[in-house]
Amino acid sequence: MSTPIYSKTNLFIAWQYLSARKKQSFLAMLGVMLGVTTFIVMINFMTGVNDFLDDAVFNGSPDIIIASKTKAESSKQVFGNQLKTIVDVGSIDDLLSKNENVQSFAHQLITPAILVSSTTQLPGSINGVFPDQEQQMVDLERRLIEGNGFQSLLEENSIILGISLANRLKVSVGDELKMILPNGKNAKLKVSGIFSFGITTIDNVRTYFSASTLQKLLDQDQKITHVHVKLKDRDDVSLKHQIVEQIASIATEDWKDSNKTIVIGNKVRDILTWSVSFALLLVAGFGIFNILNITVIQKRKDIAVLKTMGYSSKDIVFIFLVQSLIIGLIGAVLGLLFAYVICYMISTTPLDTSDFIIVETYPINFKPIYFCMGFAFGVLTTILAGYMPSKKASKVDPVTIIRGL
Amino acid sequence: MIIKASHIDKYFDQPERHQVLHGVSLEIAQGELVSIYGESGSGKSTLLYILSTLDTDFGGKLWIKDQNIKDVSAGDLTNFRNQHIGFVYQFHYLLPEFDVLQNIMLPAMKMGVKTKEQIKEDALLLLQEVGMQDFAKRPSYQLSGGQQQRVAIARALINNPDLIVADEPTGNLDQKNTEMVFDLLKKITEEKGKTVIMATHNSKIYQNSHRAIEMIDGSVRL
Ligand SMILES: Nc1ncnc2c1ncn2[C@@H]1O[C@H](COP(=O)(O)OP(=O)(O)O)[C@@H](O)[C@H]1O
Ligand SMILES: [Mg+2]
Repeated sequence: MSTPIYSKTNLFIAWQYLSARKKQSFLAMLGVMLGVTTFIVMINFMTGVNDFLDDAVFNGSPDIIIASKTKAESSKQVFGNQLKTIVDVGSIDDLLSKNENVQSFAHQLITPAILVSSTTQLPGSINGVFPDQEQQMVDLERRLIEGNGFQSLLEENSIILGISLANRLKVSVGDELKMILPNGKNAKLKVSGIFSFGITTIDNVRTYFSASTLQKLLDQDQKITHVHVKLKDRDDVSLKHQIVEQIASIATEDWKDSNKTIVIGNKVRDILTWSVSFALLLVAGFGIFNILNITVIQKRKDIAVLKTMGYSSKDIVFIFLVQSLIIGLIGAVLGLLFAYVICYMISTTPLDTSDFIIVETYPINFKPIYFCMGFAFGVLTTILAGYMPSKKASKVDPVTIIRGL
Repeated sequence: MIIKASHIDKYFDQPERHQVLHGVSLEIAQGELVSIYGESGSGKSTLLYILSTLDTDFGGKLWIKDQNIKDVSAGDLTNFRNQHIGFVYQFHYLLPEFDVLQNIMLPAMKMGVKTKEQIKEDALLLLQEVGMQDFAKRPSYQLSGGQQQRVAIARALINNPDLIVADEPTGNLDQKNTEMVFDLLKKITEEKGKTVIMATHNSKIYQNSHRAIEMIDGSVRL
């Protein structure tokens, strides 16, 4: 005999109430929009930066580095020093091939050297690699800017350079370079590829060179200085301790040690994103709570009259909850659109190369899940904020109100 | 008999428990215009709220249209009230967010029996009956007190109830508007066969009603 609570009539009443206070409703809606936008933009941006760094770092560096102990102690290798080669390579290989968590590993012979181009000379670090092994470790193809990847190292005297190093040496693919090794030997090199990981600390110094050629040049036949390991589960670094325990004269370093600032940075960005978004949504929610609360207090008599007209407590809850829902939905939808626009603008904003990362534009994600989350949070906040005033409205007793003139 | 009340007692617990109605019994026939008068605080409003089923917390028995009110659940009572009883108050309580026509339509839209077009048609007819047809699209707060009360009467009639309950409907009006509203209430009993029961202070009104019941300290004088 009476209409259901989600009837058009109740919607109509809710809408009338909303549009009677356009300005306040609009402000509340703006609040929701701002909260949703900020959340989406911040989380996309922060995770974008995190992902970018993770990608660059973890693709560019191994999860565990194994080196000889003395090397680790005197990390500043003075020019001309004897290389600290690993003695017991065989047992390390054994251990690694047996371990379940090892994805792949590769040998390297790393030495400092001076690189001389036609215009300048610079210190660099020569990573002697075995192309077939190294290919399992680093996806260099994706990072190549010019020239060829690891396979080009099969050709003797080919070198692959980081982009910043190449720029400073003023060389490009095909150009010649001279390398002066710690033992005084010289070698003529040809640049076969140029890569960029987007991180200055890598792009500034790293080079790839053939390990076997380097062994010959340094008279270190069959010797290596480092073993790089890539793990299946990066967070499980128990292998590190296992190696140190079983093999003496060995030092290890995992990705967390080498990238402390990045790991901390990621955490800080996460905390920042969630706390700022939460605070903004809280403010938006409070705005809605406030308007509805004031409406309920001012409209006690009207609510009582509606009740004498046959509108039930549930109708009243619905009428008020719908008001916050309308504010929330419109605000959240606008927030979505606005967030998309801002994300797009950020993604096309050129970024001056900083000391730390090298990218053309700001790294930012466009993950649908974050847009959905922002929308859901916005709507949820408004429902929560609207619930209490709505409940309060529904409790108005028509008799006491009409009587209490 | 549209209303049959038998030995109705009412207590309030605030500020302490005290009795406000003392065994009120009365019967009202369909088509009657009944006034309840008496000093302020004598219990007129309290009785009206019980007779109109807004207040169900009372002692004694009450039948409306042969329905024992105490047998009806709270949810059904809301519908019962919406269908059979219309309200007019001292302060007309039109909702300012809605225009005059919408105010009249709201009770019928809740009931949901008629289509919106039918309700609108009925509302316009009622507006004509109370002489307010030119104000249909006005926001309700722009009307004078007397005009608002006429609209409130139209609103009370929209669901075609048999019973109109009015608590001091002219309490806030000047002489001219008081007469106009009273004439209107009288007309709906005589022409439409509605029952009107109202509380009033105005001697002209209760003397011109079909029946006047005096309340003294929570009892009716017969
Ligand atoms: N909600 C209430 N709580 C306590 N006492 C009340 C309440 N409502 C009315 N009363 C008391 O009941 C008595 C009758 O009030 P009321 O019915 O409003 O009288 P009238 O309408 O005749 O002026 C008064 O003494 C009043 O103080
Ligand atoms: Mg009264």
